[in-house]
Amino acid sequence: MANEDDYLTNPVPDPDDDATPSERAHAKTFAELVDKTLSGRVPPAMSADDRALLEVATVIRAASGNVQLAPGKQRSLVEDALRQAIGGPQSSLPGVTPIEKARRRWVPWSVAGGSMVIAAAAILMMWLRTAPVEKPSMPTAWMSRPSDPLIGPIARERAGDASARIDYIFADRMDGYRERRLSRGGKR
Amino acid sequence: MASEPAGDQEHAELAQEQRLIEEAQHGNLDAMRPILERYAQPLYGTVILPRLGDTASAEEVLRDTLATAVEKIKRFTWQGKSIYPWLRQIAINKVYDVHRQSKRSRRLADAMVHEIPVESDPTTHADAQLMADQERRAHRERIDDTMGALQDRYRLAIELRLVQELSREECAKRLGVTIGTFDVLLFRAVRAFRKQFGERNEEAKEPS
Repeated sequence: MANEDDYLTNPVPDPDDDATPSERAHAKTFAELVDKTLSGRVPPAMSADDRALLEVATVIRAASGNVQLAPGKQRSLVEDALRQAIGGPQSSLPGVTPIEKARRRWVPWSVAGGSMVIAAAAILMMWLRTAPVEKPSMPTAWMSRPSDPLIGPIARERAGDASARIDYIFADRMDGYRERRLSRGGKR
Repeated sequence: MASEPAGDQEHAELAQEQRLIEEAQHGNLDAMRPILERYAQPLYGTVILPRLGDTASAEEVLRDTLATAVEKIKRFTWQGKSIYPWLRQIAINKVYDVHRQSKRSRRLADAMVHEIPVESDPTTHADAQLMADQERRAHRERIDDTMGALQDRYRLAIELRLVQELSREECAKRLGVTIGTFDVLLFRAVRAFRKQFGERNEEAKEPS
């Protein structure tokens, strides 16, 4: 029963066979799609099955000469094609640039080159601003620093001694603090 | 000789087409406009749409076809014939691309993309139109061929609704059924057409 609604592959019943409610619902949906298509309003969203069947309907109509390109649409497509060919934005505005003028290859390259120069200048400015400035030397104990050299590798059997390690680091930092506080009478 | 003025006109049109193409090849893009406008409709109605069945995709393919024609106009070699076959070939290639990209495996798509040979030699604009007419007739014959294999009521439902484009109410009235029943009839008719069309195409492709 999983494929009951597979209308593209299932056999087509005879015209006089009774329709199931599901088939009636699908038929109504399809009829409304055909209605919209005939009035030139092709719905953008539909199921894949409906789209496949609507394509059949359109092919039949096209072969009968019933599907014409509206003059306005044709003009717009020609205009868009001309613009597309020269790489401009698609629109229906009049006035197309001659092909030679439009194909001046240096224009995009010069824009790209200019952008690169500006980007390089910006990077240089940022680098100059963040370049290491000569700072007055100060004792290591006054600076922020990792505690790894202080503790060293932690052996597995000493892994639980976190409190001792914290105390050790605290003591070291306190040494630095005292040194800084007590030197020059507490002033930097 | 009534045909002489017509022949003169055809030659004048062909000469004008050649002049416009040469102008475009020398860089005046706008010269292509009258040519594109002249052939947009036959390309859309007889080459692209019958092979895609989707108006939105067909319009997109037409635009790409015309754009490619403009881009590659310098590669076109004038051989004293209309540019239409060249445009038509670009359009067919674009249609193939669409089918390849969408990986359509549907029978109808396979069937419609199948090349329809056109025998006309388009030495003039009039012949280009003739070529388009022939192609339309070839499509129509394939459709009629498939319609002939359908049950009468299915054939009638398609004829009334999709060819004559009568309203659902009018179609239902002519068939003596309710609108709901007509909807089911058309739904089944299009499904039957699709199956039949694909099967006939498969048969046609099998080596004899």
